[in-house]
Amino acid sequence: MSRSGARWGAALVVAALLAGAVAGCGAKEGGGSDAGSGTTQKEPYRVGVVVSLTGTYAGLGIPEKKAIELQRDAINANGGVNGHPIEVIFEDDATDPAKAAAAASKLIEQDGVLAIIGATGTAQTMAMRAEVQRAGVPQVSMAGGSVITDQLDPLVFQTPWPNRIVVPFVLKAMARKGLTKVAVISDSGGYGKDGHAIIVKEAPAAGVTIVADETFNPGDTDMSSQLTKIRAAKPDAVLMWNAGKEAALIAKGMKQLGMTQPLFGGPGNGRKEFIQGAGDGAEGFRFAAGKILVPSAYGTDTEAYKVATEFIDSYTAKYGESPDIFAGHAYDAFLIVVDALKRIEGDATPAKLRDAIEQTKGLVGVGGTFTYSPQDHNGLTESELVLYRVENGAWVLDEQ
Amino acid sequence: MNAFRVRQWFGVIVAMAMLAVPLVVTDRYVLKVLTFVGVNAIVVVGLALLFGFAGQVSLGHAAFFGVGAYASAFLTGTLGVPWLGAVALAVVLACVVGWAVAVPSLRLKGHYLAMATLGFNEIMSVVFVEARAVTGGNDGLGNIPFPSIGPLELRSPTALCVLVWAVALAVALAARNITLSRPGRAMRALHATEPGALAVGIDVAAVKVRVFALSAGLAGLAGALYAHAVGFISPSSFGLDFSILLMAAVVLGGRESLLGPLAAMTAFTLLPYSGALLPGIPRAVAETIQDWVPDLVGLTVVLTLIVRARGASLRFATRKQAEAGEDS
Amino acid sequence: MSMSSADVLQFVASGLQNGAIYALMALGFTLVFASTGIINFAQGEFFMLGGMLAAAGMAAGVPLGVSVLAAVAATTLVGCLVERLALRPARSAGGLALVIITIGCSMLIKSGARHLFGPDERALPAFTAGEPLSVGGALIEPQAVWVLVLALAAAVGLTVLYRWTKMGLAMRACSISHDAARIVGVDTARVVMLSFGLAGALGALAGAVVAPITQTAYDVGARMGLKGFAAALLGGLGDPVGAIVGGFVLGLLESGAVAVVSGTYKDAVALVVLLVVLVLRPQGILGRHLGEKL
Repeated sequence: MSRSGARWGAALVVAALLAGAVAGCGAKEGGGSDAGSGTTQKEPYRVGVVVSLTGTYAGLGIPEKKAIELQRDAINANGGVNGHPIEVIFEDDATDPAKAAAAASKLIEQDGVLAIIGATGTAQTMAMRAEVQRAGVPQVSMAGGSVITDQLDPLVFQTPWPNRIVVPFVLKAMARKGLTKVAVISDSGGYGKDGHAIIVKEAPAAGVTIVADETFNPGDTDMSSQLTKIRAAKPDAVLMWNAGKEAALIAKGMKQLGMTQPLFGGPGNGRKEFIQGAGDGAEGFRFAAGKILVPSAYGTDTEAYKVATEFIDSYTAKYGESPDIFAGHAYDAFLIVVDALKRIEGDATPAKLRDAIEQTKGLVGVGGTFTYSPQDHNGLTESELVLYRVENGAWVLDEQ
Repeated sequence: MNAFRVRQWFGVIVAMAMLAVPLVVTDRYVLKVLTFVGVNAIVVVGLALLFGFAGQVSLGHAAFFGVGAYASAFLTGTLGVPWLGAVALAVVLACVVGWAVAVPSLRLKGHYLAMATLGFNEIMSVVFVEARAVTGGNDGLGNIPFPSIGPLELRSPTALCVLVWAVALAVALAARNITLSRPGRAMRALHATEPGALAVGIDVAAVKVRVFALSAGLAGLAGALYAHAVGFISPSSFGLDFSILLMAAVVLGGRESLLGPLAAMTAFTLLPYSGALLPGIPRAVAETIQDWVPDLVGLTVVLTLIVRARGASLRFATRKQAEAGEDS
Repeated sequence: MSMSSADVLQFVASGLQNGAIYALMALGFTLVFASTGIINFAQGEFFMLGGMLAAAGMAAGVPLGVSVLAAVAATTLVGCLVERLALRPARSAGGLALVIITIGCSMLIKSGARHLFGPDERALPAFTAGEPLSVGGALIEPQAVWVLVLALAAAVGLTVLYRWTKMGLAMRACSISHDAARIVGVDTARVVMLSFGLAGALGALAGAVVAPITQTAYDVGARMGLKGFAAALLGGLGDPVGAIVGGFVLGLLESGAVAVVSGTYKDAVALVVLLVVLVLRPQGILGRHLGEKL
């Protein structure tokens, strides 16, 4: 029994080693990209997508992938882009910047993609920059860190509303409501730190005083100590900045501590899981995000409303759940690439595509209307944002 | 004697063949993956010396790897120190940190040492995130210069891969020499029986601290090479997961072996990239493999250890039976 | 900023709530350590399973109470299976190999949970609805009361089992010497399996009872495992009373760290405690001697 067990174990180890050896051989063979199979159509346009399908950001990356698959199928069913079908190659970065860089390298070297959409996270997006620069391939990121377009790179574009737009918007909204003594609670992760720095910088201009400034770590499971300190500071309102599940703990914790101050947040909290997790505590929570969550904010007779509702309906029909804001960012990233491809005359190359993306003008996506320029690779303004409030477990417009 | 010579020549040929691989491969992505293989090989050799030979466990090697990476990146990128000097300083720093961990841990053994080093790794993860001035925090540190010596700059993937593999090979050969020499025997004696090692006059404490510092220094060296080869580093690459993967490779590779851990770590490194490395493999299969890497690693670790334990106990039992002259 | 006594009490309440969870986790570590002399790295995954299985049960329409009990029972079974299928066949390999097997098991359990339940966090409703209770100005959620009561009940139950039952006697015998225990007729294999089962139950109970407060996800185990281990070590590994004390001390220390310093360094507290205790006082703050099981 145990002898055969030993044999099995040995076989397993040998198999693992073989995998390594074969991979080594594959390395020797794997030269250029594998030739596309012969099609009657024009040659497909290849676009690479780097998303986090595993790891911390999997909850964001999976809807992103779904949104892009949905759009790819819709476009190919309608004859593709200028007669070229679109081929999308997905790579999982496992929420690891090193893997994101390797994935970008793979998409560029092996697949010869025209553009890379990605990554899900800010650090992963930044990690790809060296690869992207070397190959001259345009990159459209779905991550919200301000650093992505603040450190302007001719090749790198961004679809979400970055903190430098959202933070002043929220601060001003708070000041308008007469809530000027504000307690801040932010996470020590990349998105929270990015937002925190801007909150501290922009608060005086908005007429807001920060009376307490607390932090927590991504993955923390108890906020009551931080909230107790905030309660002692007697703020008019609490502003939280993070993009993770801890938001629910803050909302719940405030209720538990009998804190009746209004709670504010950013787009990272526009997740259904937040409302489910925070329960009653989510009621009255206000946050800024684009209009995709309640498309009627665009006005029902606008192009933007039509685009957003079409996306929401087709996504819901296919996947049985409504898209979240991350799916929206991915939709927009794909839309921007497709729109730019359409405008290219002759054969598409990464360089032509980059120029075309930079010339994007008045493109209506679900997150807003994008207008890029050589100085602005984010393309969104404050006018795309609205303030939401959670009411009876759903998002409603707080003010218009 | 003759056999030894043959083996030596065989080793030289294998080494040459290995160094030729980066020159033959033209795919830049594959070269990148092979560079990772070389980097991880350096770390795993250091850990094999520490655990496989000296019997000292560490679940903190990803942190030493990170110390080397951040130190070298900061020295070259921010302070403008020449590459070679920066790498050397990074290795020294990793050694010193290793020494600083090893000395207070001297009285710890087995899983107490495992937990202490694990705690160290977690603390360093906090440091990597919080020391933003040096590490760039969660956003990571980019624009790390390519390796360069004087006017010569290594920027092509081939050159980087050859560099890393050459260093890895040198490290592996040096480690082999150590294991065959006096310090190596002292390490093995320590692993086999600590009181015995003491009794034959081995300064157990000194051996432990030295091998720990050496092992940490090798991890730091690998980290420095990694930083310059990839050009971007961030805290998530230096977490506990990587420490555990390294430890798993050394455990699978077997006691008192360098080749075993090297082979296991190579397999672990290549596994997530199988889709890109095996040209014919369907995308769905590749994605499934990537999704199931932790399961594969976990299962392999558990099964190998069980099989090995059963093999050992079986041999033990047979010998006992033979000694007792029993027949069953 | 000045703190009222109500605020101070609030910090204490938060520390006690976390401390109760750490205590349950520490008990799980300590039980396994007492009977086998190894540190079970899969303990954190038992915590995760408790919360995730209960949430999955609820999502499938099973009533809350049944879901929680079933989650605890299923995790108990997982604990027994880890022992029976992974550890017992390799028992002869000795301490460190067994510890590494538990690392392998924790990878399998965590990854399995991700395949089964997906990567998103999940919520669980509070066991009883109701407004927070005011104790000396500090407000305490009903669920926090559940956490404390269940942790204490588990601690008392375990003490009874340990001190006054035959099984407890056998477990204590095993913690002193397996060989000696076997000589006097103790089925040591059964004791070891039971200790893993109990560790699974304790971890799952902690995970399920705290999930309504914290939510849960497939990857919450490792962190909680580290905290629980630090607590167990603080109280002296292998000592159930020490584990409970260690849990509460760690919870209060963390809460104090947030009050005095900043939330960013909260986790570092557990880690520093872990390292300091390991290096200076490996027998724990209460411990009298360190069982030579190394």
